[in-house]
Amino acid sequence: MIRTKRYILTLAMVFAALPGLTMAQGRNSEVIIDITREAFIKTDVLINELDVLAGGISSADAATTMSSVVTNDLRLSGLFRVGHSEGDADSLDFEFTIEGTVEGPLRDADQTGENGPITISLNLLSYPQRQLLMNKRYRPLPSQMRATAHHFSNEVIHWLSGEAGMCLSRIVFSRGSGGRRDLYVVDYDGEGLLRLTANRELNLCPSWSPDGSEIAFTSYRRGEQGLFSLNTSNGKVRSIISMEGLNYGADWHPDGKELLLALSQSGNPEIYRITPQGKILKRLTVSKAIEISPSWSPGGRDLVFTSDRTGTPQLYIIDSEGAGRRRLTFEGRYNDSAVWSPNGDQIVYATRVGNYTQIVVMKSTGENRRVLTGGRWRNSEDPSWAPDGRHIVFASDRSGVFNLYVFDVVEDSFRQLTFGNDPDITPAWSH
Amino acid sequence: MNRGWITRSMMLAVGLVLIVALVSLAGCGKKAEVETDPAAGAGEPTEEVPPPPVAEEPEVVVDEGPDYATLDPSEYGVQDVYFAFDQYDLDDESMGLLSRNARAMKEAGVVILISGHCDERGTIEYNLALGEKRARAVRDYLVSLGVSAGQLKVTSYGESKPFAQGSNEDAWAMNRRAHFERP
Repeated sequence: MIRTKRYILTLAMVFAALPGLTMAQGRNSEVIIDITREAFIKTDVLINELDVLAGGISSADAATTMSSVVTNDLRLSGLFRVGHSEGDADSLDFEFTIEGTVEGPLRDADQTGENGPITISLNLLSYPQRQLLMNKRYRPLPSQMRATAHHFSNEVIHWLSGEAGMCLSRIVFSRGSGGRRDLYVVDYDGEGLLRLTANRELNLCPSWSPDGSEIAFTSYRRGEQGLFSLNTSNGKVRSIISMEGLNYGADWHPDGKELLLALSQSGNPEIYRITPQGKILKRLTVSKAIEISPSWSPGGRDLVFTSDRTGTPQLYIIDSEGAGRRRLTFEGRYNDSAVWSPNGDQIVYATRVGNYTQIVVMKSTGENRRVLTGGRWRNSEDPSWAPDGRHIVFASDRSGVFNLYVFDVVEDSFRQLTFGNDPDITPAWSH
Repeated sequence: MNRGWITRSMMLAVGLVLIVALVSLAGCGKKAEVETDPAAGAGEPTEEVPPPPVAEEPEVVVDEGPDYATLDPSEYGVQDVYFAFDQYDLDDESMGLLSRNARAMKEAGVVILISGHCDERGTIEYNLALGEKRARAVRDYLVSLGVSAGQLKVTSYGESKPFAQGSNEDAWAMNRRAHFERP
């Protein structure tokens, strides 16, 4: 199998002595950067327009959708550069090419009344040898064109990198203002925005079940909090648990058979394990402090959470029985919202510096702490990992209103995912 | 949810009893007849009227005192309490204000929801916890002043229901509070 070439780049201890004027507010004039990170050399792929063998306008549209969605998917993965003609070979070093055919009914359904199927065949070939590496054939409904392209992109990414693609993943989040926030879901590329709730309440802090069939979230009924679950295939909402006080911060266990949750029925918030039916399995923390925001490690053996037992909110790790407590953060006076990366090697969280909240990523051992969003980012909160372990989604008000942004922790690049006028908060990326 | 439903049923029952009492006064005490009269339960014909101990003193209930259950707590003198940044303890001013609130609440005798609020700084999750700490601090102090614990519910909206918009000290100060509402 051909794999993406991987290199390690090390930028160590770069000293820059700056003139006193620009550093007037600093205590000294030394800027130290110590970054040790992986960088990837991208693979170049040529994507040709699909040939329309037969069919009307809908077939031509399908061909355009396929190539544009696959192009975008490969770019968003961070693993590829994409060109669209042989001429791009001047600047790109193509190793692979994608091409295919679309075959539909001769006349479109709106003209004939017939809803003939469109057959799409997509190929991945080596370049320039043109050796066929992979072929996929699809017969999608008109409403499934984008999903079909995403499916093929996942196959290409998996074939070329060995990693699972995230092209069919989605992000659920809370949007609204004025005491009303509804859950929305959007495809990972920003398309297909859909509202999930409409109950004139606050709906917050969603968490996907591992198989994506349910979304646990916190809502209010007559002013009191409860944890609910939304069935993603039929939209029905059921109550999971509603104890006195807070019922929030749910995180589904990787096996789908239980969840972590903060409940304050004892007088202040503590971390509990509960079943998806709302039965309490075990209380994991006991203190007079605030203990909230739990997140499972990928294997479900440990969890990271927030406790302010020392007077400021800090991150801690315990095991699934509540034992083995150890403090993870010693830097910063306000750390919260930690989430474990899909392969377990990193933790992303939010830290408050002055009046602003920033996103920080570090190894799950606590080393290599790195602020992702300083300066122009204003507030950035509620991070969640993409299934590829390379991208993070979070909410930031850098534009003046909280929108969602996707950040690439390998390249330190980002894109804006949502553009609403109402604030978007607490995003969760599907698994 | 259950508690809310029960409270509503109780209010409904008290309401029905009131209607019964009024009609019986007007109708010269033909209580038995009134209870079986379908017109008495106009909106809720299927509701069963429980034995009415309150109806023994109808003149007290009919008195011109306000119907607190329909009022916003601010309408009978209950005032919100404000907090310092990142804090949930009560200062002297808040305690004085809560003493006056306690008198009004005891007089009203109805269930009140205390909601904790925070300014926009910090995280959604920690602010929900901080807001609840504020609401609970207020409830505990009110109970210590003799307000019935069963009369006070607490919740937290964190930073999600701000009273003032804006990212400045004035707006932040307005939004760090415990608010009293009708559940």
